[in-house]
Formats: sequence, C-alpha cells, structure tokens
Amino acid sequence: MSWSLARKVSAALVAILLCTGLLTAVFGYYKFEDVLSSLVRSRYSFVVFTIKKNIEDRLNLGLALRQLRQIQETIELEKVRDDQILGIEIYDARGEVLFNTDRGGIGVSVPAKWLEPLAQPSSQPFSLMDDDMQLVGLPLVNNLGKVEGAVVLRFPSAFIDRELGPLLSRVAVELLAALGLFSVIALVASYVVLGSVGRRLRAMERTLATVLAEGGDAEPDPTDEGGFESRYAEFVAKTREAVEHIAESTQEVERLDRLA
Amino acid sequence: MRLDRSRPLLVRLFVLAILILVPPVAMITFRALGEFERGMVPELDKKAAAIGRDITAQVERAVELGIPIDHLVGVDEFFRPVLMANPELRYLAISAPDGRVLFVTGAPSADLEPHYREAGQATNLTIGDFLDLALPVQSKGERVAAVHVGFDQGYIASRLSDIFYDIAVVLVASLIVAFEILLFVVFFNVTGPMKLVGLVVDRARRGDFSHVAGGLSGDEVGHFVRTLSTTIRRADDQYRSLMAYIDEVRAAHFDKSVVERVAEIADRVKFLYRFAESGRPAVLRERLATDIRLPLFLFVFAEEMGRAFMPLYAREFGQSTGLFTTEMLMALPITMFMVGITVASPWAGSVIARLGTRRVFLTGLIPAAGGYFLTAFADSVVQLIVLRIVSGLGYALVTVACQTYISRATLEGKRAQGLGIYVGAVLTASICGTAMGGVLAERVGFDATFVVSAVLAAISGWLVHRLLDPGAEGGKAADDGDGSASDKSLFSLFANWRFTALLLFAAVPAKMALTGFLFFLVPVILWRAEMSLPEIGRTIVLYPLIMAILSAVSARISDLTGWRTGLVAIGGLIGGLGLLLPLPQLGLEPSMAVALAIIALGVSHGLSASPQLALVPDLCWIECHTFGRTRVLALVRTVERLGSIVGPVLAAAFIPIWGLTGAVVALGGVVLVLSVIFVVCSFAFGSGLHLVAEEDGE
Repeated sequence: MSWSLARKVSAALVAILLCTGLLTAVFGYYKFEDVLSSLVRSRYSFVVFTIKKNIEDRLNLGLALRQLRQIQETIELEKVRDDQILGIEIYDARGEVLFNTDRGGIGVSVPAKWLEPLAQPSSQPFSLMDDDMQLVGLPLVNNLGKVEGAVVLRFPSAFIDRELGPLLSRVAVELLAALGLFSVIALVASYVVLGSVGRRLRAMERTLATVLAEGGDAEPDPTDEGGFESRYAEFVAKTREAVEHIAESTQEVERLDRLA
Repeated sequence: MRLDRSRPLLVRLFVLAILILVPPVAMITFRALGEFERGMVPELDKKAAAIGRDITAQVERAVELGIPIDHLVGVDEFFRPVLMANPELRYLAISAPDGRVLFVTGAPSADLEPHYREAGQATNLTIGDFLDLALPVQSKGERVAAVHVGFDQGYIASRLSDIFYDIAVVLVASLIVAFEILLFVVFFNVTGPMKLVGLVVDRARRGDFSHVAGGLSGDEVGHFVRTLSTTIRRADDQYRSLMAYIDEVRAAHFDKSVVERVAEIADRVKFLYRFAESGRPAVLRERLATDIRLPLFLFVFAEEMGRAFMPLYAREFGQSTGLFTTEMLMALPITMFMVGITVASPWAGSVIARLGTRRVFLTGLIPAAGGYFLTAFADSVVQLIVLRIVSGLGYALVTVACQTYISRATLEGKRAQGLGIYVGAVLTASICGTAMGGVLAERVGFDATFVVSAVLAAISGWLVHRLLDPGAEGGKAADDGDGSASDKSLFSLFANWRFTALLLFAAVPAKMALTGFLFFLVPVILWRAEMSLPEIGRTIVLYPLIMAILSAVSARISDLTGWRTGLVAIGGLIGGLGLLLPLPQLGLEPSMAVALAIIALGVSHGLSASPQLALVPDLCWIECHTFGRTRVLALVRTVERLGSIVGPVLAAAFIPIWGLTGAVVALGGVVLVLSVIFVVCSFAFGSGLHLVAEEDGE
C-alpha cells in the first residue's frame, strides 16, 4: 500500500493525538482518584477518630477495653449510617478482636500486619490495603501512654470505581468522541495542507510528459523566479532538446547508413 | 509555497498540529474537571455530615447536662483542632433557632447570620463560596440550636489544580514530539528528496544527464522522483542506442566519409550532453543531518526521564556504609554515569571510524537501553551504579555517533546549522523527558519509568535501523585535521594557558554546577520541600527552557560582536552568584531560592555554552589546524566532564557539613571563585603572544 504525504502526516498526527488523549485521560483519572481516595480516607479516619475518642474517654476512667460493651452498639450504628463500610473492628494489643460489626468475627485474631502499626513509638493513624479493600485505623492509647489495641474501619477498594462509574463512562465517551472528531479533522486538514504539494508535483509531471510528447515549453510560476519551478522548466526544455537532438542524430545516422 | 524549502510547509503543519492537539485536550480537560468537581461534592457532604454528627452529639450531651446552649465554654478551642485536621472545612458554627450565631470559628459571624435568619430550618445552604450543612441540636424533643459545618467549594478545584499542570506537561511534550515527527516527515519525505531532485535538475538543465535521484517512497514526491528518473533513463537509453548504432556503423561501414560523419555526430552529442560513463545513470544519494534528529531526540528523551528523580531513586537503596554517607550514595549514580561517558567518548571516535555511525549508534543502544531496563530491577545501590556506568558508556557511543553523523552530513559552511540540529534535539528532548519523567514516575513509579526509557531508546534504535542507509557511510569531517599528530602531543594543548584557563575556570565549573546542583541537589532539596515528582520535573525544566531560548541569542551576539570571552565570563559569574541565592541571609524560601538558582544557571549556560565552544578555535587555531578541530573539541568535552564527575561528589561531601541548601551555597562559592579567576585571566587573553607558532618562533 502506498502512503501519500497527507496520509503519512495525518497518521502521525492521529497517533500523537490518541497518545496525548490517552495520557491525559490516564493522568487525569489517577489524580482524581487520588484526591477522591484521600477524601474518602479522611472521612473514614474521622469516623475512626470519633470511635477512638469515645473508647479512650472510657479507658481513662479506668475501664478495661474488653469491658466497653456499649462500643459494640456505637460501631454498629456507624456501619448502619454508611453502607460503604465493610466493617469496624476493635482489637487488643495481642490482636484478638474484641468488638466487630460482624459479631461472628469477635474472638478471632487479626492478621499480623494489623499489629505492626501498634509497635510504632507514635500512635499515628495508619492505613493498609488488601486486594479488594482498604483499611484505616488508629491505635487506642490509655492515659498512661500504653497502647491497648486499635480500632480499624474497612471499606471496599472498588468503591470509587463503583460510585463514579457512570461519571467516568460519560467522560470516556466524550473523550473518544472528541478524539474521533479531531482525528477526522486531522485527516481532512492534512489533505488540504498537503494537497497543493501533490497537485503541483502532478502538474509538473504532466508538463514534462506533454512537453516531451507534443513539444512546447513548460511555463513556470512567474512569482517563482530563480526558484525550483523555473529551474525545472529549464530542465524540461533541456531534456526535450536532448531527446529531440538524439532522435535527429539517430535519424541522421540511419540516413548515412542507408547511403551504402 | 516553494517545494524545495521546508520552512513554509513546516509552519503550516505545526499550526495544524496545534489546532489538532490543543482544542480537544483543553475541551475534555475542562469538561472532565467540571464532572470531577461535581462528583466530589457528595463525598464532601458525607464528610461534613460525619463531622457535624459528632459535634452535634457532644453539644447535645452538654445541653442534656443542663448547660444552656449560649453558655457553653471552650467552643472555639473545641472547633479549632477539628478545622485544622480537615482542611476542606472552612468554618464551624452553632446558631440559635432564630438564626443568631452563638459560636463560630473560621468565618466572621456577620457573613453567616443573615443567611441563617433567612433560611430558617433549612439544612443545606450556599453562602458565597461556602456550602453550609446544618444539623439540628435537640433537647427533650425540641430544637435548641443548629451545628453548621461550612466547606469551601474552591477546595476541590484547588486539589484538582495539579491536573492542569500534568496535562499542560503532557500537551507541551506532545506538541514537541509532534514537531519532531513532522520535522522528520517533511525532511525525510519532502525536503530531502526534493533537494536531491534539485541537484539532478540543476545538472540536467546544463546538459548533464549522468545522475538520477535516489528514493523509493510511495508518496507524491516519490512518484515525482521516479517520473524524473524514468525520463532521464529514457534519454540515457536513447543516447546509448545511438552510440551503439554509431559504433556499429563505424565498425562495419566501408565508406570512410560516412564513418567520419557519424563520428562527428557522436562527438557533437557528447559535446552537448553528458551521460554516465558507467553504462547507466548513477543514483544520487545524500544523507541529511536531520535524518538522525528524531532518533537522537527519542534517545535523549529516554535518558532525561530519570533526571527529576535519579538521586531519590538511589536513596531508596541507600543506607550509609563505612565509606560513604547516604548523600554520597545518592550522588554516585550520577557521577558514575558521567564517568561512563568520559571513558567512552574519546574511544567512540575511533570506533566510529572503523564501524560507521549507524553501527555504533545501534551498538551503543545495547548498553544504554539495557542499562535503563535493568535499572528498573536494581535492588542495591552498587547494581544501580554499575548499570549507570553501562548506560553512560552507551550514551557516549550514541551521542558521539549522532554528532559525527551530523558533522559528516553538514557542509563546512553550515557547521553551526548542524550543531543547531544536535543542540535543538537535545534541548527539546531534555525539556520533554525531564517533565514527562516526573509525571510518569509519580503515576507508575520509578521502575516502570525506566522501562519506558528502555522502550523509547529501543524505538530510536529501530528508527536508525530502518532509516539510515547502511551503505551511506564514510566521509570525514572537513576539519578533522591531518591526523598526523598523536594523542600524546594533543596534551601539548595545555601549554596554551588561555586554553587551560578556559577549561579549568569556565568549562569545568559550568559542568560542576550542572551535575552537582541541577542533577543532584535540586531533586533532593525539592523533595525535602515536599514537592511532588511532577513539580520537581517542571522546576528542573526551567534550565533547558532558558538555555534553549538564550543559547540561540548568545550564539548570534557572539558571532556578531566576537565578544566571546566576555559572554563566557559573565555567564560564569551569573551561575556562581545564582547558586548563592539559597543563602539564609537572603531570606528566600528554599524551593523559591532553588528555582531562581536554576533560572540563573540556565541564563549562565545559555550565555556561555555556545561562545565557549566558539572560543576554542580563537584561542588555539593553530592547534585546531594541526590536530583537527574535532579532536580539540573532543578534548574540551573530556576535560569539562571532569567537572561533571566532581560536581555531585563535591555537593554530597558538603551536605554533612552545611546541610542541603548550605551545599548549594558552597558549590556556588567554588563556581564563583573559579569564574572570578577566569574573569581575571580573560583580561589578559587579548595581550601578548598566544599562538603556539608565535611562541615557538620567539
């Protein structure tokens, strides 16, 4: 398949346009996801923080963590308020779950990596990621500074995609439509811009063929004095002259040859 | 539009590229940002509700304990940490049922009260730029107050504003890539073949039909070239038929007068026209300097992608050992890359002489691209250092091959134009690569960015493999000298004190500042200032951007005025003084001081880089004649790379003593002192004998 100049240029432009559109969309999406994820995490961190405060107030009264039975209701209420919450768990420093929105999970041990943040010297909020869920947590510290355990809240990783699926689909369709439209414009515009090059080259080819076949002169663009077309006109004339001269010479040689 | 000139066509195509790329991306960006902002409002609402519920519960508890709502104490102290922990919240307030503001933190009560009075018991209000969520405070089933949580609508826009910068980077990089590709398409498909056609036409219009233009493309230009070649070949065939016929008549005819007359005809045709003696028209091929520009651009793009984060990547492995501090381990990959380049550069010249530029480019790509690829999987700083040396060796081979290709493809009188092609490709690639590298590394990580580098380098190799004619090698730069002088005697150049001063006090400190400050200290300082990788990339890009603008201007000034020494001296001083900007006494923010220092470095090198190279033949033109300008300039580059090697190590050594910004200032001090010495020396440049020949003859 032969590729015209316009096709080459439009292919290059469309390829660059598609790459630019794709990169822009990917970067835009990731940035949006970052901002939204941090917002979601900060909301859940606040929920965890209020539960932590609630528990620590009671710990500071001298109650043991496993005795705070009202906390079970508090965490269940928080889960009911937000259907995106997968679960809220409160576990002690050894990793035993004391309270859980899923009551069947009470008494089991948490994964070892949930205990790692409790070993840190500062009781900072922590967040962990699993395959399909994210987790935000805060250590529970009594008024003597001892880490008694932690409260964690789990929510699904796919939450953002699920929540924003329709919005992202709409933006994706608009992006594809814009890319399609401008790809067509690129194609048409390339043919317009480069069409004149092709036309002039074809005109020069026709001139060459006509002058060689029928005689006459190539007429260069008067504005192109000393330019390519003027030199080309001289080339055409010289070629015709050479071809005719050789033809005449050949006839002359034939005539001389026949004299014998 | 003239067909043998590329500029008008390029201008049209570049305008077309802008019109094709900018509107859809801008349109979609604005649409998407609007959608994103709307998509975030429900999430902000939920957060405001969560905070409001907590505050309401606590206020209700106080009210249930019998404290009148308007007598609560410490509300401001209670609200303030909540506001500080949640930056999207602008204010918290408690209002009475009649709308009076009882307590507010974060906004003047006069701004809110009229709205509360008017709204009655509405729960959602828009007050100026704030969205206000009201939650009732109940006591014994009666509404006694409302807690208001106000968040800023502009907060979402401000959080999303970084997208603009990322997209702007992608768009500018795309436009530059589009420009490079269009440049390539036009030169390779139109200007190059038309230039050949021009040569053939010029010969033919003077009667010389001994050549046809090469080129096999299937486009309109290719068709035109083939039509012309067919015409010339047809004339050539007719000529050869005539000559064969004449030879036959001369050999076989018994009438001497006929033989004489056909001989006259043959002489006349040969006198009037010239046809190839080899039996067929020779195919005219010419390589253009621009043929290598796109592969060079892609290759340098690949290398520059790591610019914004290389020391940060090294830090990921780096724990100080007995011999090296952590900072030194972060600096060593940059230094050792420069060592690789320094070692391979002088050797690259002789390899090119044996194998040719195409093969050396492809050979150099193996260590370069392999180095990038394996860097993604490095798991110790030692591995990283070794891989950077390997990449440096490849980088030197590839860039020297490109320089040689351009040098050989450029006519002597147009050498500056050839240098412009090289510098242009390197600077634009540097701008795109550094900025895109930062954006990519932020999104996909350091490792994946190195893999992308390797892929880009491989694409550049594929282009060279496809586009450069393996047979079109040979040729020698016109200024390669007579080649009689040995390498050993090349070092006699250092006896020329002006040359030595230029190298030690101008070229070396310039490179020292470039690698020590820009490549090593800048990413580390900006990262510590909590700037993101795309921001670091965008800040570093200031340097090539300013370089690109200024170097063309300074080259012109230098050529027009001949004031090369002055420009080099002023450039050096600006670079040294610029690095002093982070001095604490100046009171500039570290990131701002660093950005200004980068600008100063760009100005410095923009002013001095071209005049510095142009000054070399001025200072030692006899040596240039003896050894060849290429070899003398190669020596200059080798020596100045010592500055590139020393820069990061020196900066890393300063950090434990003076800290990060102190290291910049200390490096600036070294550069400034060396530059001042050059200034002093430069006053004596014009006096006395300064040519080897003159001194020898003394």
